[in-house]
Amino acid sequence: MTVYTPYYSSRRSINQSRSWSRNQNVTRFQSNIKLGPVAHIVLVALMVVVLGLIYLTQATKTTSYDYQADNIDSQIASLSDQKSDLEVENARLQSLQNVKNSDVAKSMTTPVDTNYISE
Amino acid sequence: MSDKITSARAKFLLVIVVAMAIIFVVRLFYLQIIQYGYYKDLADQTQIKQRVIPAQRGLIYAMDGDNPVVLVSNQTVYTVFADPPMVTNKAKVIKTIQAAAGDQARDDLAGLLDKTDTRYQILATKVSRTAAEQIKKADLAGIGFQANSQRVYPEGALAGQILGFVDFNGDGQYGVEGGLNSELSGSDGLLKSVTDVNDVPLTLGNQNIDKPAVDGKNIVLSVDRNIQAEAQQALAEELDKYHLTDGSVIVMNPQNGQIMAMANLPTYDPSQYNLVTDPALFNNDVISDPYEPGSVIKTLTMATALDTGKVEPNDTYNNTDYITVDDATIQNFTKGHTGNITIQEAMNYSLNTGFVTVAERLGNGKTVDQQARNTMYDYFYNHFGFGKLTGIELAGESAGFINKPNSTAGGPVTYATMAFGQAMDATMLQVATAFSAGINGGRYYKPTVVAGTMDDNNNYTPSKAAKPEAQVISQGASDVLRQMVITVRQANGGKGIDIPGYTVGGKTGTAQVPDPSGGYYGDRTIGSYIGFGGGDTPRYVIMVRAAAPTDVGISAGTSAASHVFTDISNWLLNYLKIAPKN
Repeated sequence: MTVYTPYYSSRRSINQSRSWSRNQNVTRFQSNIKLGPVAHIVLVALMVVVLGLIYLTQATKTTSYDYQADNIDSQIASLSDQKSDLEVENARLQSLQNVKNSDVAKSMTTPVDTNYISE
Repeated sequence: MSDKITSARAKFLLVIVVAMAIIFVVRLFYLQIIQYGYYKDLADQTQIKQRVIPAQRGLIYAMDGDNPVVLVSNQTVYTVFADPPMVTNKAKVIKTIQAAAGDQARDDLAGLLDKTDTRYQILATKVSRTAAEQIKKADLAGIGFQANSQRVYPEGALAGQILGFVDFNGDGQYGVEGGLNSELSGSDGLLKSVTDVNDVPLTLGNQNIDKPAVDGKNIVLSVDRNIQAEAQQALAEELDKYHLTDGSVIVMNPQNGQIMAMANLPTYDPSQYNLVTDPALFNNDVISDPYEPGSVIKTLTMATALDTGKVEPNDTYNNTDYITVDDATIQNFTKGHTGNITIQEAMNYSLNTGFVTVAERLGNGKTVDQQARNTMYDYFYNHFGFGKLTGIELAGESAGFINKPNSTAGGPVTYATMAFGQAMDATMLQVATAFSAGINGGRYYKPTVVAGTMDDNNNYTPSKAAKPEAQVISQGASDVLRQMVITVRQANGGKGIDIPGYTVGGKTGTAQVPDPSGGYYGDRTIGSYIGFGGGDTPRYVIMVRAAAPTDVGISAGTSAASHVFTDISNWLLNYLKIAPKN
């Protein structure tokens, strides 16, 4: 538990260093805990580690997006292949040979007489 | 004493540590600074992968009336391969691949899988996507797939020689595939990036390249699949009837130069081009096989004479069935119409003497002099385009050949025989294009097989309306020529074979075949027929050629060609919904 010790400064000394406005609290607190050089190094190291972790997290996240993008690309390629196959099949079904051999075509007859109307 | 020892040890340790630190620093400096490039390249080689994104080859469409339909498409097929040492269950692999791939599987699968000293054995080729997925589902160890794109032809062998094919390297050969290869190919894309162990591209690093592929253009041909099928069928039936095997036909629109059909026999199936043993089959003879066209050229000699005002259809000459030019005597194929006859009659009976006379009248009227030859050359070469490429978008076009009037070979005899289509080489495309200009009002259109383009959303954009390249004869001369050609057909039985109510014009041609050792064969001919239909504004021009070998009679080719014309013409009058007169 951190213990703070209140202490007072004279108004003059305060006014000499900084200008305060009226009725402002001029009391300040100072921690009794002093950080040594080792603690500083540890803190800096911790900060570096935290930043490193943040970087790694983001990099991993990006990589996971890359996997998703790759999967989507594969799906697009697969669907595109399927579309091509269907288009080819559609073209085959509508080919002249298929049309000629269809039941509809076989049941057609040659017109006996042809009349022309002017447009 | 003890302090001294401690101090000495500490110093020793310090020296060791400092020395080691120096060694590390020097080594790291060497590796990271001096050898930077080498190790960076090494790392890039393993981490950065480069992948070519293949461009999709453009599709080829034909017309079906007013609507484009697919004639050539792309399909992804797979090559199934094995890494024999990695295959754990050979029996399952063989059973699965044989069941899924069927005929596409190699015969000796067991033998291929036994080759464990190799790392790559092809087990099946051209496997469909569904079959490949079936094999993938079986999760076979040591089996891999390689995707390839191949051309597919929903209409089978239809228009094979117009289309050409795509070879093993992906390059278009012959026909549209060869002629428009750069437009159809597109350009490949490139994906370069850092990848993980599974080859998944990662967005790390600053050397990534993602250049998308640009797919090839989808081309819509002016060829109508129904007219093409009819032309192929009529040609096959008539050649068969006359026991002939070699023939060609072209159908074009004389009002814009668009090719509506082009067919040859014998032909080939572009989906099985690798089975063709005679490479000559790849040629489209309509554009690549120039020949002496014979009497069909009389129409163009007449066009020249009409346009220069030197001859009228009712002008007369004395026909004796023979005519002498320099030291050569030229005779008629059809004899007996001797006496004073008109040029129209000479055309009706296809009399060579009449057209040598026409050639003479282009000059001084007594012989085929320099002026006559210059005029003929000007019209044949500059106006009608003989001896020059037409520029059609098909690979393998031939320019043909005509002798210059001031050359040694371009003397009076040569030009006298050119007047009826001998002593010159022309392709059917050149003759049909020139004839179209002769009967359409004199406008020469560059022949084309391209009607437009199709975008990825199946929106068809027609090409800009064709403009004539030149007015090669006057409207008046063209009108007279058109009527003359109608008269020729009517005088030769056209009234009995054409659908009543339509005016159809046409002219035969029977050319001798040059003997490589000199002169002409006496028993071989090439029959031709050229004509048009559709009334005062002709809607189609058809030219047919049929080669008659030695044992079928010298008129067989001409008869077959004439019948092919009639079959297609009568069919076209209905198909194009042309209303009869009266």
